Amino acid sequence: MNNSQTHRLWPWPGFPTSSKALGSFGDANCMEQLLVYCANAIENNDATLSHQILWVINNIASPDGDSNQRLTCAFLRALIVRAAMIGTSEIVTAMARAMNYPNLAPQTHRFSVLELANFVDLTPWHRFGFTAANAAILDAVEGYSAIHIVDLSLTHCMQIPTLIDAIATRLDGPPLIKLTVAGLIEDIPPIVDLFSYDEMGLKLVNFARSRNISLVFKVIPCSSSDGFARLIEYLRILQQQQQLLAAHDEALVINCQMTLHCIPDETAINITNSDSPYNSFSSSCPVSSSSSSTSPLSARAMFLKAIRSLNPTTVVLVDEDAYFTTNDLVDRLRSAFNYLWIPYDTVDTFLPRGSKQRQWYEAYIRWKIENVIAHEGFDRVERQEPKGRWAERMREANFRAVAFGEAAATEVKIMLDEHAAGWGSKKAEDNLVLTWKGHNVVFATAWVPA
Amino acid sequence: MPVDLDNSSSATKTTVSNAASGDASVSSTHDQSSPPKPPPKKKRNQPGMPDPDADVIALSPKTLLATNRFVCEICNKGFQRDQNLQLHRRGHNLPWKLRQRSSKEVKKRVYVCPEPTCVHHDPSRALGDLTGIKKHFCRKHGEKKWKCDNCSKKYAVQSDWKAHSKICGTRQYKCDCGTLFSRRDSFVTHRAFCDALAEESVRAHKMPPPPTNNTDGDPVAPTAAVSSPTPPCAPEATAVASPIPPIQTPVTELPENPTQVLEEAPPVWTPRLSGSGISSHNSSSSCGSGSSSLYTSLFASSTVSLESQNSGSSDLIRAMAHLERSMELAPSSSTEPISYCLATNHGLSLFGTAAPESRQYAPPLQPAMSATALLQKAAQMGAAASGGSLLVGLGLLPSSSASPRLENLHWNDHKAEPAGAANRSGLGLGVPSNEGSGLKELMMGSSPTFGPTQPTLDFLGLGMAAGGSTIGGLSALITSIGGGIDVAAAAASFGGGDYAGKDLA
Repeated sequence: MNNSQTHRLWPWPGFPTSSKALGSFGDANCMEQLLVYCANAIENNDATLSHQILWVINNIASPDGDSNQRLTCAFLRALIVRAAMIGTSEIVTAMARAMNYPNLAPQTHRFSVLELANFVDLTPWHRFGFTAANAAILDAVEGYSAIHIVDLSLTHCMQIPTLIDAIATRLDGPPLIKLTVAGLIEDIPPIVDLFSYDEMGLKLVNFARSRNISLVFKVIPCSSSDGFARLIEYLRILQQQQQLLAAHDEALVINCQMTLHCIPDETAINITNSDSPYNSFSSSCPVSSSSSSTSPLSARAMFLKAIRSLNPTTVVLVDEDAYFTTNDLVDRLRSAFNYLWIPYDTVDTFLPRGSKQRQWYEAYIRWKIENVIAHEGFDRVERQEPKGRWAERMREANFRAVAFGEAAATEVKIMLDEHAAGWGSKKAEDNLVLTWKGHNVVFATAWVPA
Repeated sequence: MPVDLDNSSSATKTTVSNAASGDASVSSTHDQSSPPKPPPKKKRNQPGMPDPDADVIALSPKTLLATNRFVCEICNKGFQRDQNLQLHRRGHNLPWKLRQRSSKEVKKRVYVCPEPTCVHHDPSRALGDLTGIKKHFCRKHGEKKWKCDNCSKKYAVQSDWKAHSKICGTRQYKCDCGTLFSRRDSFVTHRAFCDALAEESVRAHKMPPPPTNNTDGDPVAPTAAVSSPTPPCAPEATAVASPIPPIQTPVTELPENPTQVLEEAPPVWTPRLSGSGISSHNSSSSCGSGSSSLYTSLFASSTVSLESQNSGSSDLIRAMAHLERSMELAPSSSTEPISYCLATNHGLSLFGTAAPESRQYAPPLQPAMSATALLQKAAQMGAAASGGSLLVGLGLLPSSSASPRLENLHWNDHKAEPAGAANRSGLGLGVPSNEGSGLKELMMGSSPTFGPTQPTLDFLGLGMAAGGSTIGGLSALITSIGGGIDVAAAAASFGGGDYAGKDLA
C-alpha cells in the first residue's frame, strides 16, 4: 500500500487525503451516502469494499466530533456490529479489532430511580408524551371513582407521579387508583438498576398517600416478543372476576408510552405460542381488508385487538414517529439516519460535553442505532412505525381517535417553554406531535372504543 | 479603519465595496457559487427568506463585535454611532457635521454571519437585522461572558442575561432533600421518588406531624378515622382510612382473586405477608389499616436504609430480614398468598391487595424507635391471646416457634385466651436474641400473662385500665430497668393503682 500523501492508492487511487479535502466529506449527505455504500457492501459480502468504506468513514467521523460526526460514528459502529454478527467477512471484524474500536458493546447506564427521574426530564422526548397522556387520561376518567391504569412504558413509572398529581387536583374527590405496570423481562434502555419494583412501588404508594389518594401497585412480568400476552391474560381474568362481582364504575386506562413499537410486527418472524391467549383471536376475528388474508395476525395486531376486547375507557398511544420496520437494511438505515440525527442535534442544547448524563444519553442513542441496524428477529425491538400507520392499526382494531383538547396543547406548550427553543408542538385533528426544528419527533394519540 | 456603514450617504454603499480595508464585502444574494450549502438535513426552509434585492453585507467578526467604532480624537471616548460622536465633538468646539437622513430610498440590507461553518454564513440564510446578526454571532460563536448569579447559567449576549436574571429563581419548587426545581413536573416526579418523602411519612407514622411540604395539606389526622371505642390503634391509622370506607367493597373482593391467578407464576418467597404494604388502601374501618401502614412504614424505613447505600441485593436481603421478623407478626388469617416475590429475572408481582377486612391489627414496626415509644406501643397493644408475644410483635425478638396467629391484638377483645399462655417462658418469648435492650431482662424476669381478662399485670405492669401509660411513667420505668429491678417493684412504684396488691401470677 502506497502511503505517500500525493499518490495514495488506498482505499482507491486519488482518494483525497489532506484534511481539507476530507473536510468536505463532513457533509451529512455525504456521510449518509457512505453509510449506504457500506451497508450495501456488507449485505453483498463484499469484504474489500466494505473494508475500504469503513476505513473512510472512520476517518471522517470522529466520536468526539460535531453532531453529524457522532451520528455517523454510531451508525458505523452499528454496521461493524452487524457485520460481526451476521456478515461473513472476517476482514471486517479483524479490522474492527485493528482499529481498536472503542466499546462495541453498548454500555448503557443503569439508572437509579432518582437518576432516571432527572434524566427523563432533561428533554421533552419523554415528558411530551407524559404531559399529553395525562391530559387525555384526565379527560377520560372524569367522574369515575376508581381508575385502573395499565402502564406500558419503557421509562419505569416516571410518568406516574405527575399523573397522580394531576388526578389529585381534580375536583371530584380522590379516587382509588390501581396501577398495573408491565414489567418487561427484556432489558430495554433506559435500564433501571433495581432488583425489583418494590422500592418504586412503595414510593409511589407513599406519594399517592401524601396526595390523599390510595394507590394499589402491581407489576406483571411480561415480554414484548409475544405482545405482552401475560399482561393481557391477567387483565382478562381480572375483568371476568369484576363482571362476576358486578364491580362498577372503574375506568380502564391503557397507557402506552414508546413501548408498543417493541412488539413484533408483520415484518418480524412471527412465532406465537400455541397456548398464547391470542390464539383464540385469530379464529374469531374477521380479517380486516388491509391486512393480508393469508398471513396470520402479527403480535402487534393481536395485542391491539386484545386491548380492544377489554373495552378500555381510553387508550393512549405515544411513540416515536419514525419508520424502522422495513426489512431492507439500506432503507432502514436511511430512515434511521434521517430520524436519529435529531437526538444528536438536541443534546447540545441541554447537556454539556463530557458530562456524565451526556454520555448516558448518547449511549442510549447508540443502543437504539445498534438495535435498528445490527439486530434481526426478536432481538430487534426498535420497530417504530409512523403515526399514520399506528392510526391505521388502531382503526383496524376498532378504535376511534379522540382529539386532544386545548388544555392539553397548552400544557405541552408550557412544558416546552422550559426547554430549548428548537422544540415545538403541533396539534392535528387526532394527534399531538412534538417537533424539533420542524421535524416530527414523537406523536401522541388517544383512542376510545369505536 | 472602521467601515462606516451608516446609511448616511449614498456613496457609502459603493465605497464599501471599493474600500481597501478589506473588512467588508458586498455581494448580491444571487451569487450562490462560493459559499457551500449548509448541510442539508431535509430541513424546511427557514422563515424569512431575505429580499432578493437586498444587499448582503458580510462583516468581519471584529467589526461585528466592535462596540464603539467612532472615537473622539480629543478624549478617546467611543461611540456606537457617528451621529453621537459628532454631537460630542461639538463639546470640544471641534468642527462637526451632522448628516441628514438620506432622502433616497434606503436599500434593504441583510447580514451574514462571518463564521464559515455557520448556517447563516450562506447569503440565502442571511439575517435582516444588524443587531440580530450581532446577537447571533455572540450567542453561537462567542464567548459567554455573562453569568447568572442565581443559577450559574452563562450567556454571551448581555440582554439575554438580563432577561434570564429577571425570571431566574422566581418560580422555585423545593424538595425536602434540598434540590430546587423550576418546573413543577420535574419537581413532582423527583419528590415522589426522593427519599425525603419516605422519611417524612415514616415520621408521620410515629406521631402526628404538622403538615409540611405536602401540597395538599397533610391528611394525617391521627385518631380521627378510627372508631372510638377501641383505643387509638396508633396514630398510624392513617387518614387514608377515612376517605376510603365508602369504596371498600369493590376493592376488597377484587384484589384477592388476582393473587390466586398469579400465584403460580413468580417464585414465591416464603414468608407470607398479608396486607401487603404496597397498598395504602385499607378496607377495614378499624385498625386494619395498621397492617398496611406497618409494611409501608417498614418499607419506607428499610428503603431509606436501602437508598443510603448503593448496592442492590445485599441491602434487599437485609430488608428481607427485617421483613421476616415482622412477618410473623401479622400472618394472614385468610389464605391470600400475598407473596413477596424476589423473582430474579423480572420485576416482581407484589400484590397490591388491600388489607383484608379487619383481620388483624399489626402495630407498625419501627426498628429505629426509641425505647420510650416502644414501651408506649406495648402499652397500647394487647398481646394476642395465643401468645404472640409482645416483643415478638414488636419484632425485637424473633419468635422461634411458628407463631400462632395473632387474631386480635385489641385490648378490648375478650376472645383472647390468655390463660394458657402463662407457661411460656418469660413473656411467651421464644429464644431471645440480643435485640432490645434491658427490656429483655425485664421480660425474662417476669412471667406475666397477657390478655385483658387477666387481672394480673401485663408485662410492663401497665394495665389496660390505665388507658395507656403516660410516657413519663414509662421513662421512670425505663430508668429503673437498668438496675434490673424486677417488675413488681417497678410496677408498684409506678403506682398503677389498679394493680396494687395484685399478684404477678
